[in-house]
Amino acid sequence: MATITLTDKDRFLINQEGQDFSHEAKTFIKIRELALKNLKDLDFPTKKLEDWKYTNLREVSKTEYRPQTAVNIIEEKINSHKIADLDAYILVFINGFFVPDFSETVEEKDGDFIVTNLNNAKRKFIKLVEPYLGFQTRAKDQFFVNLNSAFSQDGGFVYVKSEGKLDKPVHIINLIDGDLVASYPRNLIVTEKFAQAKVIVTYETIESGSALSNVINEVFVAEGANVTLDKIQNENENTYHIGADFATQKRDSIFTINTLPANAKMIRNNLNIVLDGSDSVANLFGSVCLNGDIHVDNQTYVDHAKPNCESNELYKCVVNDSATSIFNGKIYVNKIAQKTNAFQSNANILLSDNARSNSKPQLEIYADDVKCSHGCTIGQFDDEALFYLKSRGMREVTAQKVLLDAFIGEVLDKIEEDSVRKYADKLIADNFNSKN
Amino acid sequence: MLKIEGLEAAIDGKQILKGLDLEVKAGEIHAIMGPNGSGKSTLASVLAGREEYEVTAGSVDFSGKDLLDLAPEERAGEGVFLAFQYPVEIPGVSNINFIKTAVNEVREYRGLPPMETKAFMSHLKEKQKLVELSGKLANRSVNEGFSGGEKKRNEIFQMAMLEPKLGILDETDSGLDIDALRIVASGVNELKSSENAFVVVTHYQRLLDYIIPDFVHVLYDGRIVKTGTKELALKLEEKGYDWIIEEFENKQS
Repeated sequence: MATITLTDKDRFLINQEGQDFSHEAKTFIKIRELALKNLKDLDFPTKKLEDWKYTNLREVSKTEYRPQTAVNIIEEKINSHKIADLDAYILVFINGFFVPDFSETVEEKDGDFIVTNLNNAKRKFIKLVEPYLGFQTRAKDQFFVNLNSAFSQDGGFVYVKSEGKLDKPVHIINLIDGDLVASYPRNLIVTEKFAQAKVIVTYETIESGSALSNVINEVFVAEGANVTLDKIQNENENTYHIGADFATQKRDSIFTINTLPANAKMIRNNLNIVLDGSDSVANLFGSVCLNGDIHVDNQTYVDHAKPNCESNELYKCVVNDSATSIFNGKIYVNKIAQKTNAFQSNANILLSDNARSNSKPQLEIYADDVKCSHGCTIGQFDDEALFYLKSRGMREVTAQKVLLDAFIGEVLDKIEEDSVRKYADKLIADNFNSKN
Repeated sequence: MLKIEGLEAAIDGKQILKGLDLEVKAGEIHAIMGPNGSGKSTLASVLAGREEYEVTAGSVDFSGKDLLDLAPEERAGEGVFLAFQYPVEIPGVSNINFIKTAVNEVREYRGLPPMETKAFMSHLKEKQKLVELSGKLANRSVNEGFSGGEKKRNEIFQMAMLEPKLGILDETDSGLDIDALRIVASGVNELKSSENAFVVVTHYQRLLDYIIPDFVHVLYDGRIVKTGTKELALKLEEKGYDWIIEEFENKQS
């Protein structure tokens, strides 16, 4: 009799099964089937892989996370996760499932835009979803991307038609509630030519023993379109947050992503930006202030596929206690992408002996007429500046906060929406103030 | 107000101050002069609490408190202010935010509530005027891109805002043109009262034409070797330090 030995991955995948997707259109079921097939050949990434060198997933692979709907949905608890003074269309998801009662959808006929949940869009606007969903996430070798593609429950769908504009931003609130939760929210943002969209995505916890938050944002930026995505990751200290963001840009477009990893047990971000049209601009900004023993791993990949494009990347990290911050920024310049301007900068401040920072810029350039620059620094606050501030009566903690605000402020200022800027600022201040 | 006795201090194992005595009373202005390397700036740094300096002996009493026992910010709270020889540039921190934070931290130390915005702004404007500091500099980063004169005037401006009991000016006059020197000096003269005191560390007599000292001390080899009145500064200007050094060394042997 043959015995079958189940691996951690097998057991993990079995726990994800049981969701019924049979009502979905064939084209979407195909995406799931393909992802499941890929998962058969894949395993949890290990530290042996260069891109996962610093990030250990053993605990994730051994924990019995399962998809689960929230039991009690309490209005006050959801309201506390709204951003004060942000006037936005709000979509709420708990454990990856849509919560219509607390969401505001817009799907007017002949309207400029559609804001709804992805499952609804898959039924009603199949022609707007089909060409885009899963288009950027076909990589066979990405375990967590395929995991989300296979098991994603729902997500936000934002569509802006040609020359159209959202009259106010969309705020997608992703919440975790329950123990051993596996949540797979997936947002799809699609713009037509010269459209504009601003989307804020927050990831937070209502209450959770432990959770895996495996998220994807897919963005299509059409010719001349302008899309901004602000991402705030603020889940509880028992949550593994593994996210991937994909953007494809057509000519003359602008895409800006602000990433703010604030709280979780571990946060991994994979940004994949393809400048697939000439004269387009990608902005990747990250503000990081960590405490406790959180581990944050930001990986960015910018593909300059067409000539005359510009990418600006600025990540600033302040690391306290025994937290770890990793930055791995890759820029790829295709041989036809002449006149590329690519800038990358990663600056780190370590505030304690046990704080860690790893920074790795990578440039791969095949065109000969390009301007690319990268720089990374790891250091401490300037002693002279600290003494100067203290000699003016500021306590050590105040002096450090003043320098922190100046350091991170350069990146936070990139957030255009004032209320979001304030929200982010407070998260950073709270993290700084509660350092050990 | 300030009583320094037998102060000895070292940096990187090198002894700089070797038993310095100095007493400053409220209402007085003391000038500290001396050749390069005599310990003038070390004295200013030790009084402000710069950590690189190790105090190996002696005591500093400031209005009944052991100054050496206090952190730099506590010294500022108690009323010690050091005008830096080389004011530090702090990119990204606006001058106005910097001084507002400092004023309120010092007020908190002194048990006072934070200053209300309106009162703060009028206080600010008044003190800017005192040192003829352009209001435009308020929104610029601290000292960043300031001219040498602007930096030194900014020091005096901060001193005026924080209203210290003891102001220590560490070579504030170095590198200043005559106009800036006059502005800095008149700022100090405006702030001078029977309640506060100043220690002016300088190389040159010319600052003392504008800030008239009650006492002039000559620092040499980590000690005060001669004390006089403002006439001593004039004599130093004319004759240099050699005669004092000679006098001191004869006394030693």
